[in-house]
Amino acid sequence: MAQSIADLSKEDLFGQGNAGCGGCGAAIAGRQAMKALGSRTIITIPASCMATMGGSNLKTTWQIPFYHTLFEIAPAVSSGIRAALEAQGIEDVNVVSWAGDAGTADIGFQALTGAAERNEHMLHVCYDNEMYMNTGGQTGSQTPMYAITSNMAKGKQVKKKNMLAIMEAHGVDYVASASIAYPLDLIEKFRKAAAKPGFSYIHLLSPCHRGWQIPPEKTIEYARLAVESGLFELYEVDEGVRTRNLEPTFIPVEDYLSSQGRFKNLTPEAIQGIQAGVNKHYGRGE
Amino acid sequence: MSTTLLTGSEAAAYGAKLARIEVLAYYPITPAFPAMERVSKFIDDGELNTRFVRVESDHSALAAALGASLAGSRTFTVTNSQGLLYMTEVVYHTAGLRQPVVMAVANRALSAPHSRFPEQGDAISQGASGWIQLFCENNQEVLDNMLQAFKIAETVRLPVMVNYEGYIQSHTLEEVGIPNQETIDQFLPLNRVRTLDVENPQAVNTVASPEFYMDYKFHQNEAMEQALTVINDVAAEYGKEFGRDWSGLIDTYQMEDAEHAFVAMGSMVSDARIVVDELRKQGQKVGLVKVRAWRPFPAEALREALKNVQLITVCDKNIVFGLGGALGTELKSALYGQDCRVNSYILGLGGRDVTTEEIKKVLELSEKTEKQATASEWFGL
Repeated sequence: MAQSIADLSKEDLFGQGNAGCGGCGAAIAGRQAMKALGSRTIITIPASCMATMGGSNLKTTWQIPFYHTLFEIAPAVSSGIRAALEAQGIEDVNVVSWAGDAGTADIGFQALTGAAERNEHMLHVCYDNEMYMNTGGQTGSQTPMYAITSNMAKGKQVKKKNMLAIMEAHGVDYVASASIAYPLDLIEKFRKAAAKPGFSYIHLLSPCHRGWQIPPEKTIEYARLAVESGLFELYEVDEGVRTRNLEPTFIPVEDYLSSQGRFKNLTPEAIQGIQAGVNKHYGRGE
Repeated sequence: MSTTLLTGSEAAAYGAKLARIEVLAYYPITPAFPAMERVSKFIDDGELNTRFVRVESDHSALAAALGASLAGSRTFTVTNSQGLLYMTEVVYHTAGLRQPVVMAVANRALSAPHSRFPEQGDAISQGASGWIQLFCENNQEVLDNMLQAFKIAETVRLPVMVNYEGYIQSHTLEEVGIPNQETIDQFLPLNRVRTLDVENPQAVNTVASPEFYMDYKFHQNEAMEQALTVINDVAAEYGKEFGRDWSGLIDTYQMEDAEHAFVAMGSMVSDARIVVDELRKQGQKVGLVKVRAWRPFPAEALREALKNVQLITVCDKNIVFGLGGALGTELKSALYGQDCRVNSYILGLGGRDVTTEEIKKVLELSEKTEKQATASEWFGL
């Protein structure tokens, strides 16, 4: 594992002149991930901000083969790419599908669960900004309870689906959560995933300042608060062995939630409920 | 060349084997599944060195095939009816990306109501998708068209569907000649084009603004027009090499002095050959025009073949609701300005039998119809 940012490659395979908003969490994640994946990588990205940011007309920010796929097919396409590489005897190429929360957990879930069950030699990355931002910020299965979105003004009334648990249940080679606020941990996880012979899944909590209604310069700060509050646990399940990669400092969840515009309707009771959930998860007393 | 008894499904599978496909992806559906199972068995028996992607849906089947094609491998899939409709989004996308995927389609009626039986409505539903579509009259043509399909696809960089009807062809044994592998390897050498290649990184399917999109579509259609020539050339080359010339875009039978022409595609064509022979014996000047390539639509070839015919009877095993039979409608459009009467009939939907007797009755009915109807008539209700 790299000990400091200074140890990382200076080469940027993604991120030079992309079309993302300033302070886009997904763009930061892409830049960090490519430090581990390297130039012998083929990436497929379904309909999402990340796909749109990656190129338009004759321009692209990607320095590796990049294919903007249909919304729900990236893991299936990647399976086919891997099959073709194998058929041609090409062994040293990473095949990655990189989707948003919709392209992973909702419209893209069928192709994802299929590829995971087959234990395809590939990595699927979910960059989760917790709503459908490429279409203006609607509610999806990864939207947390109570969050206000463009089509649910009163906030979501049901819980977020736990994609990490679902992917862990597939029994694949490697499952991990990662955060752009902890780049060395993120990069190490991409390195581990790329080295696996079968299927890996990495779930990134990827703040979107537009959807979350936070200042654009605070993207990394909110990513860190999510981890430090215990709401987004950094862990990995490597060949079935579960390890927590970071012990949170357990700042109150309120410090993460209450300053986000999307949670402006949160009642004190709701915040208490969320805090109780975190305490229970980590086995902490009230 | 060896001759054996094969179903249409097996003929498609042998075609894929002779083409030495590198990647296979499919999701089982009736009645296409025996073709899939046969190719899988070739792989399991070590007769074919192909990677099989066991996807979880028809939609992912074409997606995986597309991915493999983008990475440069010769790729094959099989489906029909609901499976084809489910993958429709990827069908259009594959054509837009100009990937030479070949798909066998064991044509079956579309739901609702639910039907497992033959009809060409599934293929017709993809008529605007940008795929080249070949229709086969018998199982020999299924095998031969499979091999020609890869050659055509890789020449014009467009995907190709090879259509044969469910059960009537997919499950019926016929004598089929199987070419030698060595000769096929010369006819169809493996020529990998890698669109996704780490040695030459490219961005694929980036967002196209109005300044670009229309030009892409123009070039895509140009490739379709190029296929009008390539399909003929490939059929001629195949005919020379293997002794079976399926005559390109269309085929004609007893048309030299014909006054009444029967036009159809698929399994009806082989029955119609028998009918034409019988009616000729009775002194009737009847001929047959077979549409082998439905996409690109061979309008010029049809105008030429039908230029001296007064009466044309065209039959469709499909219905485009609110319009009529697809082939009938398109034929009338192609023949606009030509001095002839075109009677268009819809028959055989959802597996309703079309025998030589039905074809004879349709021809009789058409002879008796004095004025061309605007719409397609339904036959056999």
